[in-house]
Amino acid sequence: MLKLEGISKSYGKSKVKAVNDVNLEVKSGEIFGFLGPNGAGKTTTIKMIVGLLKPDEGKVFVDGVNVWEEPLKSKEKISYVPDNPEIYDRLKGIEYLNFIADMYGIEKDKRKEKIEYYSKLFNIENALWDIISSYSHGMKQKLVLTSALLNDPQLFILDEPMVGLDPKSSFNLKEIMRHMCDQGKTVFFSTHVMEVAEKLCDRIAIINNGRIIALGTMEELRSSAKEKESLENIFLELTEDE
Amino acid sequence: MNKTISLIKTELNITFGLTALKHSFKQKKNRWTVVLISIALLSLIPSYFMLVKGLGGLYDGFRQIGQQSYFLMLGFLVSQMAVLVFGLLYVMSKFYFSNDIVHLVPLPIKPSQIVGSKFASLMVSEYITSLPLILPFVIIYGTKGYMGFSYWLYSFIAVLTLPLVPLVIASILIMAFMKYTNIRGKKDLIRTISAIMFIIFVVYFQLMINRITARGIADGENFLFNLARDANLLVNTFGRMWPPGMWGTFALVNHTSISGLINLVLFIGVGVLGLMLMIYLSERIFFDGLIGNTDQSSSKGKEHNKDSSKSINVNKPYIALAKKELIMLFKTPIYLMNSIGGVIIVPIIMAMSLFTGGEDMAPLRAIISQSKNYVVLGGIGFIAVMGILNSIGVTTFSREGNNFWIQRIIPITPRDQIIGRVLASLAVQLLAAVFIVGSIFFIASISVFDVLLIVLIGIFASIPMTMMGMTIDILRPMRNWTNPQQAMKQNLNVLIGLAVGALYVGGIGYLVYKVISRLSIGIIYGGLIGVLLLTSIVLYMILDKLIFTQFQELE
Repeated sequence: MLKLEGISKSYGKSKVKAVNDVNLEVKSGEIFGFLGPNGAGKTTTIKMIVGLLKPDEGKVFVDGVNVWEEPLKSKEKISYVPDNPEIYDRLKGIEYLNFIADMYGIEKDKRKEKIEYYSKLFNIENALWDIISSYSHGMKQKLVLTSALLNDPQLFILDEPMVGLDPKSSFNLKEIMRHMCDQGKTVFFSTHVMEVAEKLCDRIAIINNGRIIALGTMEELRSSAKEKESLENIFLELTEDE
Repeated sequence: MNKTISLIKTELNITFGLTALKHSFKQKKNRWTVVLISIALLSLIPSYFMLVKGLGGLYDGFRQIGQQSYFLMLGFLVSQMAVLVFGLLYVMSKFYFSNDIVHLVPLPIKPSQIVGSKFASLMVSEYITSLPLILPFVIIYGTKGYMGFSYWLYSFIAVLTLPLVPLVIASILIMAFMKYTNIRGKKDLIRTISAIMFIIFVVYFQLMINRITARGIADGENFLFNLARDANLLVNTFGRMWPPGMWGTFALVNHTSISGLINLVLFIGVGVLGLMLMIYLSERIFFDGLIGNTDQSSSKGKEHNKDSSKSINVNKPYIALAKKELIMLFKTPIYLMNSIGGVIIVPIIMAMSLFTGGEDMAPLRAIISQSKNYVVLGGIGFIAVMGILNSIGVTTFSREGNNFWIQRIIPITPRDQIIGRVLASLAVQLLAAVFIVGSIFFIASISVFDVLLIVLIGIFASIPMTMMGMTIDILRPMRNWTNPQQAMKQNLNVLIGLAVGALYVGGIGYLVYKVISRLSIGIIYGGLIGVLLLTSIVLYMILDKLIFTQFQELE
């Protein structure tokens, strides 16, 4: 579903690569966790997948479509939730959802059903008629999540999705991710919360200094690490070695 | 104290972008921005020199009636009034609507320190307004009157402290205004009404000035003499209402005697005292106006009777984009004032100038009454110019700011981007057309057919104008703004757009003027539509490519 072929990116004239020759393949029906310390290149990688940052080298394929050659085709398959929910704060919640739904060409009935379902699930259904600038950070996050789920994405990409969510919404989001994978869809997300990654992900990649330093299922990661107890220990061991 | 200094330093750095400027100058592609700014400034120099030359004549006029000192007072009045008027707008956006407020308020600093630092950076901004205005007056008075060293020394001090009093007044007025209009649920309404009142005042002021100049111009050869005499009266009246102008003037005029020194001390002293009062007041009232401003009223948790199926409406992507653009334009006060306010106010002011302009406008009125075609063509040209002046196309991508990512991840074609954004501009242009046609009715009688011609071709002409702006904006969108004012008022793209748009409309206007006596008017309209259509097609093709590549390249 998602394939990264040797993508690299450096910022400005700096020779230091924020992302350095990353190769990855994520299969359909997989929940893939993308881990790494601050500044390791997680967000940069995600931005290159969703079309916000052009790689200096390498290619990105979503369902066989080259993201940078046929952006429209690939964008129709993706939904993206950024780490910081900056959205049009002069619109009402419902206006924003309608806007996004129009962009994906979602039919009225399906749109209504999805908006009602997800806004209720995330407990923002009563706030939809308020202006977004009156929302808290968490509510904005939930609105962005709702908008990202309207188009039933083939590939759901989330950057630090658990930050700012209350426990119930966090639980619901994990359920949604699981459910999507059961339907054969793919979820790719970055996180700092080891516990979430450990329990939720089918496979995990750890990135440090722009390079993937570990990749595999929890079991595979355990077998290659000295400290075998938890993902946290494996993570600390790997990222300290660098 | 260190906190205040650090705040001022940061504030200046943010406002004038020293760090950002250094950073951007290191990047080659930004260097041409500097070149462009220089060209834009250089192009203003000829008209500025004309103005200064005119002022020299005005000085001679005052000297003829032996009232040179009023010349200086006029300078002080004009500069300080300009500082006051701009100050009201600057203070409002800087104190209450800039995004950094959210970060500053929780810090362990006093309101007075926040206000003080913002005031300091506003002083620097105000020099850009005040220096070009006051300097010619002071220099002309000094050189033509062969003044000595003490005059220049006093001038230097007076010019430097000139923005102090008006800016203090603006700050106090705005702080009080924000405190007392902070009424739950009604504050947006009150502020919109106040903005409208302000605009009406500006229009009224414009009318007054027209009357005075019209009277002056009617006097023909004695123009400057009479203008001086009229201005003398004006200065006398206003001077009494605005003592700081008088103190500044007398400080310079009597620079050799003790009275000059006393007036200089008054001029500075009152400013400093006012500043202290303002700082003192800020401790009491700044937060009151602010807290209501960041805390938005919402109906969280309230039961909504709204039927969700009514709120869900399906639109084509370009319609949805146009709607979103219009909602944002209407709901952001800065955009509302500049774009939508602009297309309403400018035609009214133009019509009033023509209507009340006295004898000097007679030849123009004669032309208007002679030829309907000029009126129609002029109307079309006017709507076209508003197409770039409304700043909608030329800031369309800049206005996205931090939300730009949304536009880049949604599956929307460049075609829909173009159509949607052009439609938003055209909706506002329709409003412009209504007000322009309405204004034309004031000065010339036109038929329904003429009205149709003006509106249809005018709106059509707005398409290439908007696309011209969009082309400029997609090439260098200004996305890192903290205050929407920066996206529209401090955006160089607007200036570039104006220059390009003026050249385009001017060029077509010149062509029409050249052929109007030789060709039938039908052919001219046909040709005009042809040129507009061709420009639109070419610009569409350019934009289609540019939007695709820029949406990928921008970081």
